[in-house]
Amino acid sequence: MATSFKQIEQNLKNEARALLESGRVALVLAYTRGYDDRHPLPYTAKCASDADNIIFNEYCNANLARYLVRHPRGTKIAIAVKPADSRAVVVLIQEEKVHRDDLIILGIPVLGMKNHKTDEIIDSRTTGGLYNPVLCDILLGEEITGEPIVSPYDVLAPYEAMDKEERWAFWKKELERCIRCYACRKACPMCYCDPCFIDLDKPRWGEKAPGPGGNLMYHLTRFHHLAGRCIDCGECYRACPVDIPLHLFHKKVAKECEEMFGLAAGMSIDEKPALVDFRMDDSDAILE
Amino acid sequence: MSFEPKILGIACNWCTYTGADLAGTTRLQYPQNTRVVRVMCSSRINPSFIFRAFQLGADGVLVGGCHPGDCHYNTGNLYARRRLAVVKKILEFSGMEPGRFRVEWISASEGNKFAEVVREFTQQIRELGPQTKFKITN
Amino acid sequence: MLKKISVDKISDLAARLMDKGTLVAPVREDAGHNFRKITDAGQVDLGYYNTLMSPKSVFLPQKEDFVTYIAGRPLEEAKCIELNPEPTFLFGVRPCDVRSFEIMDIHFIGTGAVDPYWSRRREATTIFGYAFDLNRPAEPTDFYTALGIGAADPEGSDVFMILKGDELLLKAFTAKGEKILSQMDILSESGADDASYFDQTVADGRSFKTRFINIDAQAVAKKFEELFHNAQFWEKVSDGCLSCGVCTFVCPTCYCFDICDENLFGGGTRRRVWDACMFTDFTLEASGHNPRTKVYQRLRQKICHKYSYHIRKYGPISCVGCGRCTRSCPVNIDIFSIVDEALRA
Repeated sequence: MATSFKQIEQNLKNEARALLESGRVALVLAYTRGYDDRHPLPYTAKCASDADNIIFNEYCNANLARYLVRHPRGTKIAIAVKPADSRAVVVLIQEEKVHRDDLIILGIPVLGMKNHKTDEIIDSRTTGGLYNPVLCDILLGEEITGEPIVSPYDVLAPYEAMDKEERWAFWKKELERCIRCYACRKACPMCYCDPCFIDLDKPRWGEKAPGPGGNLMYHLTRFHHLAGRCIDCGECYRACPVDIPLHLFHKKVAKECEEMFGLAAGMSIDEKPALVDFRMDDSDAILE
Repeated sequence: MSFEPKILGIACNWCTYTGADLAGTTRLQYPQNTRVVRVMCSSRINPSFIFRAFQLGADGVLVGGCHPGDCHYNTGNLYARRRLAVVKKILEFSGMEPGRFRVEWISASEGNKFAEVVREFTQQIRELGPQTKFKITN
Repeated sequence: MLKKISVDKISDLAARLMDKGTLVAPVREDAGHNFRKITDAGQVDLGYYNTLMSPKSVFLPQKEDFVTYIAGRPLEEAKCIELNPEPTFLFGVRPCDVRSFEIMDIHFIGTGAVDPYWSRRREATTIFGYAFDLNRPAEPTDFYTALGIGAADPEGSDVFMILKGDELLLKAFTAKGEKILSQMDILSESGADDASYFDQTVADGRSFKTRFINIDAQAVAKKFEELFHNAQFWEKVSDGCLSCGVCTFVCPTCYCFDICDENLFGGGTRRRVWDACMFTDFTLEASGHNPRTKVYQRLRQKICHKYSYHIRKYGPISCVGCGRCTRSCPVNIDIFSIVDEALRA
């Protein structure tokens, strides 16, 4: 039995108000109403009265961790996180982009988030499949127990079963659609590089214009740059205006990293992301 | 005219490149299809090199580095091992033929191994045929 | 001239148009409908509300090659790519998008420096506008009526099309339109009540409701001028903005582009590609200085360009209320709400 969205909203507003009133945080990252109820906006509450504008409903999918790096280091921030978002916060702490001590993590256990384009329930097919945040200071609802644990990698089975010609045909077709709008990059909390490799001129890694050259370079390199860091929030897929299932490739890379290196991204602040680390006894078999 | 593969070789300065030199000075014969680029350490290799090499028409990419534990810079190849393993998985999942990218640990004294690996890999690429999936055709 | 055709014969009309030139029409794709060059007449699909990407790419393609060259060869050997477009029929453009072409004409033809790529394509293209279905409520994101565009507004179209039951009425409004309609023998003559139905629908389109606020161009331009230095306002409205660039790419009136030389295999191409003022490095200068490093500065630029600077320099608001930016925005930023808030500020 999950806490209702209305109750979570109430708890979130109350906590935000209290934290801002007491001055424990300078800002609270949450959501507010957009042009209608199905289209919430990310929202930064800066004073206690701003807390009145906070909402939370099943369409609040934006991963707020992406806004953490916008604020100067040392800013005290409270952030509302769903399970995958909490993992993003963990990775940012691991990578020293934010200090644990500067954050108050308001965890939200979720069941039943919905994609506003399709009204489909968001589950382990397009996100990490967790119900409870992995790290938080204040839990805004009842911890969810008893729900089925579905592997976030089950959705990959039909693609893994394809032979390489089918898979190439699939990805070629999907990546051809890319219009290089970079919504995926900006929606991702882990894509904070300034400048991003694809914007460089010396060297020019990929063509600027959409096409088989630049598109493939951009996406394959991005899949690599997120290896061991992608926390499977699925926002890249939801942000894409042409519905490219980028999350599938990121999931595959995450699955391989888990199998090869024994850890999933963003689960504990004491760990390091997989590619920033090594073990002497990593098996050479991973290169086969 | 039979297909002559174009293979990009990336060799670390301290081990593999020296091993390749040794193959040369001991007059070992191996196919000429591999163009070797020298890097100071296998961990200098940016994964984008490999993706871009295939886009620019490489039929195969061969990376050589020091044996884990023997890196001239102590830990470089240990990071490279993980990084290049991920490159392999990405190539595989995208549908590229897995045999086109290979990583070998070849030390400075293993001139024989260098020649053998190049012979084997060239033959493998010859059998796989020209790489057309990633290659940009303007 | 008013003609008509049964809706289930659209592919026949498409085939006839393809005989006369290039047909660009909406096609159903994975993520929505898009304008594409038609290779198979059966692909044409009029069952859509509006396309995902705007039709501006017909006149301003996302990638356009100008010159090819070989590295190391003399400049004289570089080849200019000539553009000689064949007659093109742009089929099924909603009234708001038709209006966008007029606004874009200002920049590509109207400033004295004529862009030959844009102008030649414009000249070669016959526009078949297509009324919105007045029986279907407007999408919540649309607000074209606030910008003076009717839901069945024929302005700017060479031929304007209106659905009447299971028939499509086509009326020519320009010489170009008359010419092509007279060549389409597949079309039937219109019936007695078709003409009045057409005119009535155009009139009803003027009172058709989308989201609406009174947007007076001069008033809104002045308001944004006053708000320019109000960082608090801009930080508030740009709070969730990712500064990604999707809005720019789907917008029918955004036209910024970059010209770059892209080399490959010893040769290269000088080409034009779409750019976006929302991109972080849009204003990055060679010195390394970037006057717009903050998201709010870039969003401010975008909105002020459309609702302030453009009015001062050229007259019209550089927006047609098509709603695409709001629909495609990953965080649901809504330009209409921002203009509304500004006017009330």
